[in-house]
Amino acid sequence: MEGAGAGAGFRKELVSRLLHLHFKDDKTKVSGDVLQLMAELLKIFVVEAAVRGVRQAQAEDAPRVDVDQLEKVLPQLVGERGSWRQWRCPAGWP
Amino acid sequence: MSSRRGSFLSTKLHCSSCLPCPLYFEKFKPSEKLQEHGTERLDARHLDSPLRLKAAVHYTVGCLCEEVALDKEMQFSKQTIAAISELTFRQCENFAKDLEMFARHAKRTTINTEDVKLLARRSNSLLKYITDKSEEIAQINLERKAQKKKKSEGGGKNSREPAEAGVVESEN
Repeated sequence: MEGAGAGAGFRKELVSRLLHLHFKDDKTKVSGDVLQLMAELLKIFVVEAAVRGVRQAQAEDAPRVDVDQLEKVLPQLVGERGSWRQWRCPAGWP
Repeated sequence: MSSRRGSFLSTKLHCSSCLPCPLYFEKFKPSEKLQEHGTERLDARHLDSPLRLKAAVHYTVGCLCEEVALDKEMQFSKQTIAAISELTFRQCENFAKDLEMFARHAKRTTINTEDVKLLARRSNSLLKYITDKSEEIAQINLERKAQKKKKSEGGGKNSREPAEAGVVESEN
């Protein structure tokens, strides 16, 4: 039961619809491999946000992860040119 | 796994920001195929509306956060989960537009794994992870195709007999 298949994840159908929602060209297509890969990427994105939120809450001795903690970690995760620059696999999380 | 999902549903997500009423999540149960449920509402066609897509994203995000919560022994507030889910939904727009542009730049209409790797270029470790994943996925798909070919040729049973005989001998 490695992290790769186990647990929750984004279904291919959902990923496909999410992408197609924003395509400008009707002719744009997505291969099946890409859907699986994008599902992984989205999963990483969510887990990374969650784990960073946890770290922030732990640093603040907060009882749980609230929006206050999340707000502090979001800029590094999402915004500006340096998005993903500090991404690294959290220990124990594949 | 199912008990975990059950507990998530019972929290009756009720964030005031963007979600439809909590009853939505009672209907929208996890399933591999969207057509599993009898109700017309859950037909794949109805996933077209952005609101329903958001709800589906929210559900998956909730499941993932619950796994993290269990692992790190730290709870997430409902608003946090809603915020991450909104963020993910918005990030999809960036991803989709970038992917489309990358493919178009390469004069293709079909997005392939190279385009996804370009998306992940900003962080070396992320790029490596995605590259490894793409190779893993390609490998799995190759093996599946090979298995399908074997089945259709009907040669599966014959190749097994010598292996079983070998096992019996070694036990003696």
